Amino acid sequence: MQHIAEQKSYIKMEKITKSFGGFLALDNVNFDLRRGEIHALLGENGAGKSSLMNVLAGHYAPDSGQVILAGNAVDITGPSEARALGVGMVHQHYKLVKTFSALDNIALTVPHGAYLPGVRNLRSKVVTKMKEIGFELDLDRPVGQLSVAEQQRVEILKVLVGGASIIILDEPTAVLTDEESTGFFQTIEKLSDAGTSVVLVTHKLREAVRYSDRITVMRGGRIVDTVLPGDITDDQLIKLIVGEVITEMPELSESMGDEKLSLQKLNLASVTGVMALKDITFNIRAGEIYGIAGVGGNGQAELAMLLMGLIEPDSGTINLAGHGDITRLCTGQRRRCGLVFIPADRQRYALAGELSVAENYAVSGILRHEYGGWLKVNRRLVRRLAAAAIEDFDVQGVRHLNQNAAILSGGNAQKLVIAREFSSLPSVVIAHSPSRGLDLRASAAVHEQLRRARDTGAAVLLISEDLDEVMLLSDTIGVINRGEIVAEFSSPADRQKIGKAMVH
Amino acid sequence: MSVAKTLVGRRRANLEIREPMGLLAKSLVLLVSVLIGLAVSVCILIASGVSASDLWNEFIVYIVTSPKNLSAVLVQSVPLMIAGLAAAVAFRARFWNIGIEGQMIFGAIAATYIAINDLGPEPMRLVLMFMAAAIGGIGWILLPAILKIKLNINEIISTLLMNYIAFNFLLHLLYGSWRDPLSGFPNSQQYDALEVFPLLGWQSLNFSMVISLFLVLFVLWLFIFSRFGFVLKVLHGNSEMARSLGIRIGLVVLLVTALSGALSGICGFVISAGIESRMTQSFFVGFGFSGILIAFLARDNPIGILIVSVLFATLVIGGQSLQVFYQIPFAMVQLIQAIIVMCVAGSEFFIRYRIAILR
Repeated sequence: MQHIAEQKSYIKMEKITKSFGGFLALDNVNFDLRRGEIHALLGENGAGKSSLMNVLAGHYAPDSGQVILAGNAVDITGPSEARALGVGMVHQHYKLVKTFSALDNIALTVPHGAYLPGVRNLRSKVVTKMKEIGFELDLDRPVGQLSVAEQQRVEILKVLVGGASIIILDEPTAVLTDEESTGFFQTIEKLSDAGTSVVLVTHKLREAVRYSDRITVMRGGRIVDTVLPGDITDDQLIKLIVGEVITEMPELSESMGDEKLSLQKLNLASVTGVMALKDITFNIRAGEIYGIAGVGGNGQAELAMLLMGLIEPDSGTINLAGHGDITRLCTGQRRRCGLVFIPADRQRYALAGELSVAENYAVSGILRHEYGGWLKVNRRLVRRLAAAAIEDFDVQGVRHLNQNAAILSGGNAQKLVIAREFSSLPSVVIAHSPSRGLDLRASAAVHEQLRRARDTGAAVLLISEDLDEVMLLSDTIGVINRGEIVAEFSSPADRQKIGKAMVH
Repeated sequence: MSVAKTLVGRRRANLEIREPMGLLAKSLVLLVSVLIGLAVSVCILIASGVSASDLWNEFIVYIVTSPKNLSAVLVQSVPLMIAGLAAAVAFRARFWNIGIEGQMIFGAIAATYIAINDLGPEPMRLVLMFMAAAIGGIGWILLPAILKIKLNINEIISTLLMNYIAFNFLLHLLYGSWRDPLSGFPNSQQYDALEVFPLLGWQSLNFSMVISLFLVLFVLWLFIFSRFGFVLKVLHGNSEMARSLGIRIGLVVLLVTALSGALSGICGFVISAGIESRMTQSFFVGFGFSGILIAFLARDNPIGILIVSVLFATLVIGGQSLQVFYQIPFAMVQLIQAIIVMCVAGSEFFIRYRIAILR
């Protein structure tokens, strides 16, 4: 095979400009993709990566610019036209009908003629494709019952069986475990060897450098540079992405106090969709960050909900210094004891999209009765304190305090959640994957806030599937595996040993 | 953020999601859609044989120029307004109260019980009836509310079925022990003079108007200013978030449904004590669904409910004269309501999207 670097481009996007109500998302962008290459597209949240790919996939119509496929200018007027041209996109949030089987989901987007014979044909096509790329998948189970990695396979099959020669993957590994990611990239490499062009939109430098043939970096709606992964160091790449070098160094706690939060033999029985917890026992001291490392789905979500009082344990106790046994307290009472919660799924558990930014900020304070009596919520105070917090926590993209929180980007939404949760001095912080989906700069800001909470004497529980994050922040690391804390390490810990405990 | 595209000639029309609209712009879109709905309705009425000038007279001239008709409209708007509030309050907690009519029946039954048995001191009689009506309405929504909160049983089904139970219990009373002893008709006996609302001194307008305006202000305060209203807004916005912030969702839903039931009960009471002076077997018919439509058209806004219920009352009163003088069936009024509702529902599209023409 001819080396990819010497090939001519297969698809070219020229001078693409796209604006949303005065905001320039793409500014005269040129992008090209060669046959059979894996092309990583890097950039911070809001750099324009997704917008550019949405133009290619026919979801957005550009204000100006053109797309050239194999030498001919093409007019991509919609997703189905894009599909006909061989462009398929796997979105970060899967577009699947949860109650349909995998096969029916594929049938929805792939034309197959009359339903019954068509689907029979389609099944054999899908099965052949699965064998080709080494996928395993139950085609007849409702998609809602499949794991996230399996759902992603359905999305990829949708695109491949539809005959795509160009696949766009938007943050494909954001929700996958390390192991699943490795398997995923093996598939992608097979596809590219077979001549499929792949665009990999990602935040993860390591993946881009390891698996891609070329890397294009975007910033502020423009292309910064296109480089070969062998020609550049990580630091240089980070500098291209954020415009400066951000490297976080571990900073261990300087003053740890007495035990603040102590969990004693917490047990939770397994029911459908809930991981059982077995004899969870650990202590967090004041001024300590206790990290829980583990492969996703090993009881992390259940542990977080248990601590916030959203589910009840079958046995065991939770003790909070100064408040005694809090095992039977409801969520509201626990929050009044100073527990705060940064959930993994912030859109679902921490923000109300149709409420304003100011209201999303002030809600916990209003529940603490800090904004006037029951007769009247002091709206002026809400606006004043929200404005101050947005300034303090550097929440960007807020043009007006009354705008809906739904339009904040991931990083800024998370900063808003943290601003609210830290609006009173917390005694215990429970943070679950606090930097999931955030770019480097936003992650660093989130980490800084967690350290600051620690330094004011809070007990911080950091539950994260990202081992780098756990190792960077934690003073003590516990490893959760199948609902049990199987090992505990003091920082600095040996990455190999932690990894072994995670998958043992 | 375009969603779909079509080719129009050589230009391309592109559908894009708008920035969230301001209140003024939203109200304007709503107004235009109501006007379009009215225009369509006028066309249908003209097609069915009523001339445009007759329509103008019946719906505008006779109502604005005749104090008698105007007061009839206002009296008619009172129960509509309260039913609209009852629906809006429940909807704010995402509790779909389809059982407003059943709760109206039990509100009226409770009030009538006080009236028939002459309970309590005479000057306090109406106050007692008011309170009894509220409690009756609460009683009839309590079971579906608890089923919903404790067992997650769908309230649309349970409140709807409770309507039929209430209706048959009402018939049982009116054909049984509560039948009017004087006329023998299946009504309750007529309320005494001190059991009906005093007139306000202008036409047929009575004290129930004051009650409904007070309730509008109360709900306005509740929704916009009170802390409880804020909690309700958070619950409406994202119940999972509300739960993880420590809001006791079950309690909030219970309180809100109780208020909705109380309002429905009061709605039944203002009809029996304000319009019919007795309890009939059909006083509640249509108010449940009208209330839901009014709350929907007004986007759960109490001031909007005030305006829309007067509009609905105009339709009802104008529709009655169409029925009498032009032999137009009353179903036509319901058709007009439905057309307006559909136009407003359709206008949601233009609030969310805009059409951009690309070169």
